[in-house]
Amino acid sequence: MNTEELLAQAVQLVGDRASAQSVPEPNRIDLAVEPGRLLECVQPLVEAHWGYLSAVTGLDHGPQDGHLEVLYHFCQKAAVLTLRVMLPREAPAVPSVCGLIPSATLFERELMEMFGITCEGTPDTRRLFLSDDWPAGVYPLRKDYIVPTQTKAPEEKGSQP
Amino acid sequence: MTGVQKEKFIIPIGPQHPALKEPAHFEFTVDGEMVTSASVRFGYVHRGLEKGAENRNWAQALYLLERVCGICSHAHSTVYALGVERLAGVSAPPRAQAIRQILLELERIHSHMLWVGVAAHEAGFETLFMYSWRDRETVMDILESFTGNRVNYSANTLGGVKYDLGPQQSDSILRGLDSLEKRLHYYLKVVTNDESFLRRTRGLGTMTVEQADALGAIGPTARASGVTRDLRVDSPYLMYADFPIHVITDTAGDLQARFVVRIKELFESARNIRTAMEHLPEGELAVRFPRKVRAGEVVSRIEAPRGGLFYFIKSDGGENPVRVKVRTPSLRNFMSVLVGSVGRQLADVPMILSGIDPCFSCNDRAVIVRRDGVPATEFNPRKESASQSKS
Repeated sequence: MNTEELLAQAVQLVGDRASAQSVPEPNRIDLAVEPGRLLECVQPLVEAHWGYLSAVTGLDHGPQDGHLEVLYHFCQKAAVLTLRVMLPREAPAVPSVCGLIPSATLFERELMEMFGITCEGTPDTRRLFLSDDWPAGVYPLRKDYIVPTQTKAPEEKGSQP
Repeated sequence: MTGVQKEKFIIPIGPQHPALKEPAHFEFTVDGEMVTSASVRFGYVHRGLEKGAENRNWAQALYLLERVCGICSHAHSTVYALGVERLAGVSAPPRAQAIRQILLELERIHSHMLWVGVAAHEAGFETLFMYSWRDRETVMDILESFTGNRVNYSANTLGGVKYDLGPQQSDSILRGLDSLEKRLHYYLKVVTNDESFLRRTRGLGTMTVEQADALGAIGPTARASGVTRDLRVDSPYLMYADFPIHVITDTAGDLQARFVVRIKELFESARNIRTAMEHLPEGELAVRFPRKVRAGEVVSRIEAPRGGLFYFIKSDGGENPVRVKVRTPSLRNFMSVLVGSVGRQLADVPMILSGIDPCFSCNDRAVIVRRDGVPATEFNPRKESASQSKS
């Protein structure tokens, strides 16, 4: 099957559960999905063995926009199907896909600690990358998190131990 | 995976070198000698590179991301450069693409040989470890004479490469490959014939093709289980369409198969390098690259030594990337360790772990912290960019 056929197959599998479709690159299709319908969309892909969950990307559109986005990238050969879930910055939550794809637990742990997005029903909520003494409620990959040293003048940094 | 079950022992392994000399923390729950569950904790070499890339311009981020990994550094810089070039609508000249590909394959050779050594060391076969690391110096010398560096070659620039492949380098590469191939035949003989070595590898950490597929395993780990997943063929980038490779697979799915697949891939890499050098296109090494990159999102994927490397890059039309998501092959493959070690003897775990060729520095990215939770002072983009421009 070539890339177009693979993508057409994936779109057909997800069907009308996705609310919008876009083609950012010839080998990619993005499908916008409501958080509540995410599992319905993932299930047919898993059942049909369409590719594998290659990555879960968190995106912060910034405090003005007020949205976070979670991107589930499924890859089969050259084809990349992305399920995009738009979330509010306040109390963002997506259902965990670990029930369908157990290996997603590492991706979800990263997503939770870096963006503060709750993955409801995920089996393991411990931190994966951030250290144990990282302050709670601080999510480093959000846009409003500024790495403190960036804002200081160089001479101030020398005084720190 | 969560919680402590009654009367079960949890054996912590790591963070000090659980298998390779890199940090990660594993918890294996054991029943007697049998592993019943496994979990993992990374982050000991987390450096904040994804966030760091957002604070740099497009060209600076290239140098930063090359430092995600000390082994497959060229893979990281190439996948980023290819993605950003596609976003900007710029294409590197054919000669630059071929040189990038030659470097990628040279890098694969040194990476796989490093792994053969480390895995042999885990198996208690020190001689093979010493041999393969000695022979790996051949390819390290080639890389050094080519680019001036052993690990972070800094060969890529946005829009092309910096170093040309002259007749002198070509000669040294060809000579190096010839002597390497002789040694590879010997390694292949050892890993398929040596009885004591086979006892540490045959039938160990076996993943069936269905398991490997379901777990989303990638790279040599997947190919050793018979999953033909290789981006060089599935989604050819650079010159892989013109100079194709043959995918090496094995059906056994055990550790021995992973040795065999990786060593056979080295022959394939050597062949590919020769072909690319023979038909090296003439022309420019680089084209001009704009300071600003038009808004958009791109998914860039290449086959790194450990498997498919995934980058998601987003631009808002400015001078800096808005988001660079790095998903390294090791992270994808760790699930095969966590699942593959259940039901195994604890003593086999280090071998199963080394089997995927894990790379922890690759995995760990994002923010440096001191004990008091304040980010470390070393993290200073201005200082870093200043020192880069000097060098």
